[in-house]
Amino acid sequence: MKRSLAAGLFALFASYAAAEEAAWAPSTFTLSNGMDVVVLPDHRAPVVTHMVWYKVGAADEAPGKSGIAHLFEHVMFQETKNLGPGEFDKIVSRSGGQNNAFTSWDYTAYFERVHKAQLGTMMGLEAERMVNLVINDDPKGPFISERDVVKEERRQRIENNPGAILQEKALSALWKGHPYEITVIGKMEEVAALTPQDGLDFYTEYYSPANAILVVAGDVTPDEVRALAEEHYGAIPASGAEHGPRKWQSVAPLTETVLLTHADPKVRQPNWSRYYLGVSQRRQPDDALALDVGLEVLGGGMTSRLYQSLVEQQQLAISASTFAWTTLHDEGPAVISASPAPGVTLETLEAAVMAEVEKVLAEGFAEAEVIRARNKLAADAIYGRDSQSGMAETFGAWLALGGKVEDILGYPDAVRAVTPEEALAAVRAVFAPEKHYIEAHLLPAEGDL
Amino acid sequence: MHAAKILLCAAALSALTGCSTIKGWFVGTPQPPAAEALLTSPDKPELAVIVHDGEFAQIQQFVTPGGVSVWLVSEPSIPILAVQMAWKGGTASDPAGLEGLGEVVTYNMNEGAGDLDSLGFQTAMEDLNMDFSCGAGGEWTSCSISTLTENAAGAMSLVASAFAAPRFDEGPFERFLREKEVGLNTRETNPNYLAWRATAKALYPEHPFARELSSESLGALTPDLARQHMRALVTKDRLLVTAVGAVTPEELAPLIDEVAAGLPQTSTLAPIPPIDLTGVAATEAVIDLPQPQSLVRFIGPGIGRDNPDFFPAFVLNYTLGGGGFESRLVQTLRVQKGLTYGISTSIDPGPTLKTWSGGGQTKNESAGEFIAGIKAELAKFVESGVTEQELADAKAYLTGSYPLGFDSNAKIANQMMGVRQENLGVDYFDRRNALVSAVTLEDVNRVSKTYLDPARYSFFVVGQPQGIEAPVTP
Repeated sequence: MKRSLAAGLFALFASYAAAEEAAWAPSTFTLSNGMDVVVLPDHRAPVVTHMVWYKVGAADEAPGKSGIAHLFEHVMFQETKNLGPGEFDKIVSRSGGQNNAFTSWDYTAYFERVHKAQLGTMMGLEAERMVNLVINDDPKGPFISERDVVKEERRQRIENNPGAILQEKALSALWKGHPYEITVIGKMEEVAALTPQDGLDFYTEYYSPANAILVVAGDVTPDEVRALAEEHYGAIPASGAEHGPRKWQSVAPLTETVLLTHADPKVRQPNWSRYYLGVSQRRQPDDALALDVGLEVLGGGMTSRLYQSLVEQQQLAISASTFAWTTLHDEGPAVISASPAPGVTLETLEAAVMAEVEKVLAEGFAEAEVIRARNKLAADAIYGRDSQSGMAETFGAWLALGGKVEDILGYPDAVRAVTPEEALAAVRAVFAPEKHYIEAHLLPAEGDL
Repeated sequence: MHAAKILLCAAALSALTGCSTIKGWFVGTPQPPAAEALLTSPDKPELAVIVHDGEFAQIQQFVTPGGVSVWLVSEPSIPILAVQMAWKGGTASDPAGLEGLGEVVTYNMNEGAGDLDSLGFQTAMEDLNMDFSCGAGGEWTSCSISTLTENAAGAMSLVASAFAAPRFDEGPFERFLREKEVGLNTRETNPNYLAWRATAKALYPEHPFARELSSESLGALTPDLARQHMRALVTKDRLLVTAVGAVTPEELAPLIDEVAAGLPQTSTLAPIPPIDLTGVAATEAVIDLPQPQSLVRFIGPGIGRDNPDFFPAFVLNYTLGGGGFESRLVQTLRVQKGLTYGISTSIDPGPTLKTWSGGGQTKNESAGEFIAGIKAELAKFVESGVTEQELADAKAYLTGSYPLGFDSNAKIANQMMGVRQENLGVDYFDRRNALVSAVTLEDVNRVSKTYLDPARYSFFVVGQPQGIEAPVTP
């Protein structure tokens, strides 16, 4: 359903594109009002993906206003000076287009997918709501009903789901004191108190061409996009809006180990996980690449050390894996998790999982498994090129974090250059015995099993 | 229905030595693989390729020297190849009491073959940067392969070994059972599963579509049964192949023949009888689940593709609940009332089970209002149909957005497989928008009156809803 939440929880694991032929090489340029533009040619079908990324997300929210970035994203579909309520969606749909938007801690993105002949119309719509949004303060108006919709969205995504409730708590504990501490959708009581004025203030502060990135992927040439972008976005004056620097900051290491448990009658299968503080591709690019390779070996798939030991050989678990969330601007979690086989306690499972982790860290990786892991990550980048919208998202997200196109193009070579020693060192650094962590136990309610 | 199955088994008893429950389903005798090799002549006549140069895809149709029918779109711009395979016959063909058999077959297809055990097979796939996996649906069994074109030969050889010499080792077989044992527990608090089960038990309790895994059926599965069942599900004569990628027909044909070489030529699966929902009284039920929201599912009789009202219904569904923010259900229940994050409807043309259904979630306190709202919207369609503008909007979106389904190799391979499975013809993509455009206001309003009467719809609510008077199932 439209207007969703990107990376609200573990939703967005970006894969990067491979640079193989110049034919699909992206072009970049900047309009005179400061709006950056990226063009990703893909001539397989007469279709384009048109995205506008704003460099604002939930991490930028003022204290007590959690959820405004996401609620505001919903409000962007309501009404503008020249478009009545619902007219934005109606025009996109009548043009044979699909549209949507999503909000992360780091960015907010809006997109339309249409036949290439409709690209100019889509740009006109996005340009209109970049400058002419109307926020209705009628208590029965759309701001208030969207607030109710977001509350239903929160219930649907988080409160209905014991695993999501526990994950929200674990991430908040990991990011305590950091702008990522509150989940993107916000706290229920703070969302309920957001006002139309909050929306207007947010709009004025952050929505401007200089704070936006245009990404167009599909059956277009850079020249065509440049002409249309000049026509529709170039006319918007450079922003008068002022806002301070992003609130990004390095995440402080945990100072204590915390055990969180969540018991719920809906839980019929326990789960064990540990959240360590990891690294991010923006802040520690080399370490992040090495960590992704190392965790692929340790717990990436069926051939990984943890799966083979815990699931296949000891048969103590039905799943066991590791994963690092490295695509946020600031450091994200590196997680070890496992779910027990029937009759196995979490204590037994934990001891076995950590024994295997320690064994691998002590003995190191074999070169062959590291080569497989890095080739897999590099190949994923080639497979990723099959999705036009996926490519637009990969480039938009990375540029919104302040990254460069060249980083994405260089990814396959960079990941293939990771050595077994680097991969092992990156994993050791994150899971070192002296590191604190958040341990999360998802349990059935008392007397339920 | 149950009796018919017994009869089939009895018939098979005379044809096969020792009829296990499983063999009852295969009246035909599978041919040994050795016989297949003879069909693949080493002399290669020129491949006859029929090219359909359509608006959305240039489809190359050919039959491989080994006799497999393939639809291929050659797409050179990315060095990858996607191959899809499908066979009519799925989990509904699991013998009663052996639910899970089709699933355990497909689960094991990438879990070891020939000299490679599970880890060996998975490692080989990683070495080739390829993926191969299979799945079992109600009426179809399918497999998909994706590979870099530079590794295509190695990838297809590995898949060939899975079809020719699957191992069904005890390790992965027992792992499947452990996973499913956990699944039997977790499904009991899964709202979508609970809604599905309530639907099946209320509307078609005796049909194979209503059967599900149980600890008893899992306990009855054996690797031998799986081996036999694989030879019935996955045969050469029912194999449909679609492919998109940086290959030519001449390059692909021998790879497909290698893959299919180990399959038996044919088998016979008992046909699945259709379900007629029009003869079933609508009902309402609440399934108790402690959570803040209620999941509401509603379902009524649908329309098959062979019915002239199919396209009118397809177009009408956009205005009802298929068109996102342009649909009346979203406009009323989300935009105007703020009762839900999402509500949608869809039509499933079957063929076995034809439905028109929908669903959404709302907080427990507003469940009664939500359901009343759905019924009121359905009733409005019956009373006054849709407007000329709504019909025009639906057609504009449905025709205008059609190219969006053809912008990736994976989507094109899927679309072609859908056309092949439903037997719509190689020119279907080119005809489809005209079929949508031909729908008239009279058509959709006739279909509204017939199909959207709220009395035709059963409602299943999972949660702890308020404001509903329906029997509660614990």
